[in-house]
Amino acid sequence: MKLGVYICHCGVNIKANVNVAKLTKFAEQLPRVRVARDYLYMCSEPGQQLIKKDIEEHGLDRVVVAACSPRMHEITFRKALRSAGLNPHCLEIANIREQCSWVHEDRMKATQKAQKLLAAAVSKAALLEPLEEKEVEVTPAALVVGGGIAGIQAALDIADTGYKVYLVEKEPSIGGHMIQLDKTFPTLDCSACILTPKMADVGNHPNIELFSYSEVVAVKGFVGNFEVTIKKKPRYIDETKCNACGQCAQYCSIEVPDSFNLNLSKRKCIYIPFPQSVPACYVIDPDHCRYLLTRDCTQCLEVCKQGTNAIDFTQKEELVEVKVGTIVIATGYDLFDVTTKPEYGYHLYDNVITGLEFERLSNASGPTTGEIIINGKKPKDVVFIQCVGSRDKTVGNEYCSRVCCMYTAKQAHLVREKLPQATITVFYMDVRAFGKGFEEFYDRVKQEGVKYRRGNPSEVYRRGDRLVVKAEDTLQGELVEVEADLVVLASGIIPNKQTAQIASLLKLSQSPDRFLLEAHPKLRPVDSASDGIFLAGCCQGPKDIPDSVAQASAAAAKSLIPLSTGKVIIQALTSFVQESDCRGCGFCVEACPFDAIELREVKRGRRVLEVASVNEVLCKGCGVCASVCLSGAIQQKSFADRQILSMVAALGEEYA
Amino acid sequence: MLKKFDPNIMAFLCNWCSYAGADLTGTSHFHYPPNLKAIRVMCTGRINPLMVAAAFRHGADGVLISGCHPGECHYMEGNYLARRKIFVFRNLLEFVGINPERLQMSWVSASEGKKFSNVVKEITEKIKKLGPLTTFDE
Amino acid sequence: MPEEEWKRLVTIGRERLFPCIQCGKCTGGCPIALVCKTFNVRRILNEVLYTEGEEVAHNKDYLWNCSACGTCMSRCPKGVDPMEMVLTLRSVLVEDGEIPAKVRDVLKSIDVRKNPWGMGKDSRTDWTRGLEVKNIADAEVLYYVCCTPAFDQRLQKVPRAIVKAFNKGGVNFGILGLEEVCCGNEIKRLGDLWNFEALREKNLENFKKYPIKQIVVTSPHCYNSFIHDYPGLDVEVKHYTQKIDELLTEGRLAFTGEFTKKVAFHDPCFLGKHNQVFDEPRRILQRVPGLNYVEFDRCRERSLCCEGGGGRMWIEAFDAKDRTANLRVREAIDLGVEVIATSCPFCLLTLEDAIKIGRYEERLKVMDIMEIIDLVLN
Ligand SMILES: Cc1cc2nc3c(=O)[nH]c(=O)nc-3n(C[C@H](O)[C@H](O)[C@H](O)COP(=O)(O)OP(=O)(O)OC[C@H]3O[C@@H](n4cnc5c(N)ncnc54)[C@H](O)[C@@H]3O)c2cc1C
Ligand code: SF4
Ligand code: SF4
Ligand code: FES
Repeated sequence: MKLGVYICHCGVNIKANVNVAKLTKFAEQLPRVRVARDYLYMCSEPGQQLIKKDIEEHGLDRVVVAACSPRMHEITFRKALRSAGLNPHCLEIANIREQCSWVHEDRMKATQKAQKLLAAAVSKAALLEPLEEKEVEVTPAALVVGGGIAGIQAALDIADTGYKVYLVEKEPSIGGHMIQLDKTFPTLDCSACILTPKMADVGNHPNIELFSYSEVVAVKGFVGNFEVTIKKKPRYIDETKCNACGQCAQYCSIEVPDSFNLNLSKRKCIYIPFPQSVPACYVIDPDHCRYLLTRDCTQCLEVCKQGTNAIDFTQKEELVEVKVGTIVIATGYDLFDVTTKPEYGYHLYDNVITGLEFERLSNASGPTTGEIIINGKKPKDVVFIQCVGSRDKTVGNEYCSRVCCMYTAKQAHLVREKLPQATITVFYMDVRAFGKGFEEFYDRVKQEGVKYRRGNPSEVYRRGDRLVVKAEDTLQGELVEVEADLVVLASGIIPNKQTAQIASLLKLSQSPDRFLLEAHPKLRPVDSASDGIFLAGCCQGPKDIPDSVAQASAAAAKSLIPLSTGKVIIQALTSFVQESDCRGCGFCVEACPFDAIELREVKRGRRVLEVASVNEVLCKGCGVCASVCLSGAIQQKSFADRQILSMVAALGEEYA
Repeated sequence: MLKKFDPNIMAFLCNWCSYAGADLTGTSHFHYPPNLKAIRVMCTGRINPLMVAAAFRHGADGVLISGCHPGECHYMEGNYLARRKIFVFRNLLEFVGINPERLQMSWVSASEGKKFSNVVKEITEKIKKLGPLTTFDE
Repeated sequence: MPEEEWKRLVTIGRERLFPCIQCGKCTGGCPIALVCKTFNVRRILNEVLYTEGEEVAHNKDYLWNCSACGTCMSRCPKGVDPMEMVLTLRSVLVEDGEIPAKVRDVLKSIDVRKNPWGMGKDSRTDWTRGLEVKNIADAEVLYYVCCTPAFDQRLQKVPRAIVKAFNKGGVNFGILGLEEVCCGNEIKRLGDLWNFEALREKNLENFKKYPIKQIVVTSPHCYNSFIHDYPGLDVEVKHYTQKIDELLTEGRLAFTGEFTKKVAFHDPCFLGKHNQVFDEPRRILQRVPGLNYVEFDRCRERSLCCEGGGGRMWIEAFDAKDRTANLRVREAIDLGVEVIATSCPFCLLTLEDAIKIGRYEERLKVMDIMEIIDLVLN
């Protein structure tokens, strides 16, 4: 066996803290090492060439690279091996950057540790076996979860490429938060005007199957072959028949708060969330319907019978199974609950409202048909308070919500437009106008006579019939009390309340801010850590619309890679059984979380025995089976007992 | 003069959480003592007592096993299995005369770079206090 | 206290201030900033961040203005505690002997007489005259009286009413009598950590001496001190409003008389903001027959501090144009209430002063909740 060892300087990243020359010398005298070299950047083209050349010239059959984490460049070096004709699994990486040079200050000790890590890698490498990678077919379809702007964009992009898309939205209509907004910063396009055409495209797209009022309840399988169970909640209305004429709602006598308008107005118990809903289909609110609760009303049913006869009280919850190759998660955000900041009096005063409530108030389709009226009056003095629930450790949201500065500026502009006489004050901590056209928009709003005062208001209270916002103007260093008859709290963005549930359903991680975690913050911002599952929009972190759309298209493109290549390589690190050692005890069958092992009968001589047998497609390569086998018959490829133990032994040695 | 005790600590880290977390410690340049050297496994569920025993036999003064938080194992329940095994194995260690404190288990996620460095600092301190593992009779 | 411990206590924890983003929410909520332009905690904090070393504490008379109401601490989005910083700066001043004359008297009185009011130790139980009160040696619940209501003639009504109510409710309680010493809440906040330590030790020793099951206190300040500054204390501590509320709920006490006045409750900072006891006092008042209960607009978490805490009972604010207690009383007048009810000896004194200053005696009174209870418990 001939080994080659390659030690990377990583510029100065490794070299500064590890004596690379010494390490190379050390490598040369390790058993079976034929060549040992160091180089400035092993991952670079010339670095890889070095390895390839040695494989060809020296006939190396195992390669060890001491460089950054295998999680960074394992794939790069595997490719290099393959192109030189060596099995890509004949590679072992010693992580001397992330877990050595970057974390230790004492150069001598770091070098000693690097020696151990390298020796361990070399001893394991000698025991590595070439592995075959298998390919499986990919189901040419995708699942998109969440029908906000991000989900809509991702679904359209994938569907336009010709693949089937299942779009699952938990509400009766797609549209998400964007459909509730009035104008959008910084260009002030009307939100519904730019969104509804896209929603209609989703509704009409031959490749998109929309599951509205539905949720994903189970996901099995792996990239290329996911099996998804979708729960369709009963609308009590036949989607194929309803033509949204709205007769039913005229006859329904039950009124309930309209959640689409954030309870600022009322809707009927049989309702369509908003006129341009997709699907254009009514829905019955099961918590309030008299028929469903006590069977003592059939008003809607009767009128509908005379028309399309779409109402169907016998509808039941339905479970639908679909198969997809890839998944895009776009479950968006929820608004920070401002009642947890009692100092702002939101729970006490009707004229303290949230930013999203302002959007409805200002929206022509909202409860006041777009007039800014509060308690029956047009406000004269309006105060905006930024950063409510953002950058706030005490409520567990350390992050900046990224949209509140700009939506406040937008809303201040809308007040100016609709109430030219009003005084408008914005209290801010910092104005973050970082996007394209943002700073210009902020300038414009200030020129329109909106007063920006730096200070995070400490409380809102009432004096007579007016509100008082008490703050320190930190630029003046003085306490100010600004009277107002409308106070708008720029409530921040928090992860959708179901995020933890979604994460556990799909085996995704959450970052400390509780949003879904991307595979790499810089280089894989739309991938999740699970192959074949991608993230789009605010489920991954606060974003404005342009960023949500960009990420959605990126996620679509990424998820199209397996769909369009039509196959994925299944990981090679599966377990395997040395049948002659197997006692047929079945411990591994019990232990495998993926039901990938079963006992199979084999003939040995004249006897028929049971031995374990691994289904490599189902095996995910955790190695749990290998840890419970008492006779060592089942082993994990590249992580076999003797391979791991050889590393242990090497780490135990003392080297000069 | 007696050489200052510089413990040898071996760690088994799962690929998805703790190894990634340890990488993040590096990317964030949080420092920790060089005593700990990690072996990567795909899941803590892969680790069996044989490996821990081997580590002690080959000169480890302490062993750390670290994986995903409960409920977050990439393979669903490998970490629970590991926890059960470690629990039993610690009793066994006591039986053969090794202070079970020498075997530590922790949960470090891929986003807990700071935590990993703290875990290493803590175990290193602990093992330093316990002194070298010389005999099997402590 | 070992030298090192001492150093740790008085060194300004600058690293704890690093997260500050100078947003001003602390100053925006500070009641003192409302009446005194020179006192701006955000700016002081910034100065501490700019200046290394403890000299930053010197020549700042306004440091004595803070009433330790805790508003800044409860509002800061970054979890910084500006109040703690101010109080630490005070302890630097005390250590260096830069102490206002009035404060010096208080600290001396504490040192010698174990109460801040300069009163003779032997008069501590004068308030019990004519009442049946057991010593704690024969009881299980300790009623910890507090120096202020024990010595102040006006306030003595409060412990007397508590004793009567507890007797009626069948509480097996007793007092420490002459053994009681100050809890040290204000002393610590005046920056005298040495004297505070001595008081804490003495109190803990007292509490250990008897098999105490529970401590009930008159003053929110004692309550706060026992809850937050007595890490070794493992006995349950209750404010009297919590205890009375409990007795009422369990039916061991019942109101029979009437109190037909319009009443608003003023939240003491050390009960509300510091310890989130908001509901019990309100529940008691709402149970009083005939009582017309209304809320101040600024109530609960937004309650306006009366400036009685943080040692301010003994210090006039430096450079202030008004007192917040005066503002509070004017709010009460605007609200049309006849009685401001409260449950803290200091609030009682400051608000009563303010009523006198505003010449509102005819229209407005301030009463401790216990004084009202005393009228309706027959
Ligand atoms: C007050 C306010 C004003 C704003 N103004 C602007 C502006 O002017 N310009 C701008 O660029 N941005 C603005 N934004 C930001 C904008 O709202 C977001 O960028 C955008 O809505 C993000 O879209 P999304 O699809 O990621 O999330 P969402 O809009 O939240 O959509 C998520 C969708 O997923 C669905 N869903 C959630 N969970 C599940 C589940 N488990 N199963 C199925 N479906 C699920 C939800 O029902 C929802 O339909 C504003 C935000 C706020 C709060
Ligand atoms: S509230 Fe907190 S962050 Fe804001 S200025 Fe005060 S101390 Fe600093
Ligand atoms: S504790 Fe109260 S008085 Fe003191 S600085 Fe903070 S807010 Fe002001
Ligand atoms: S993958 Fe981390 S413990 Fe199982």
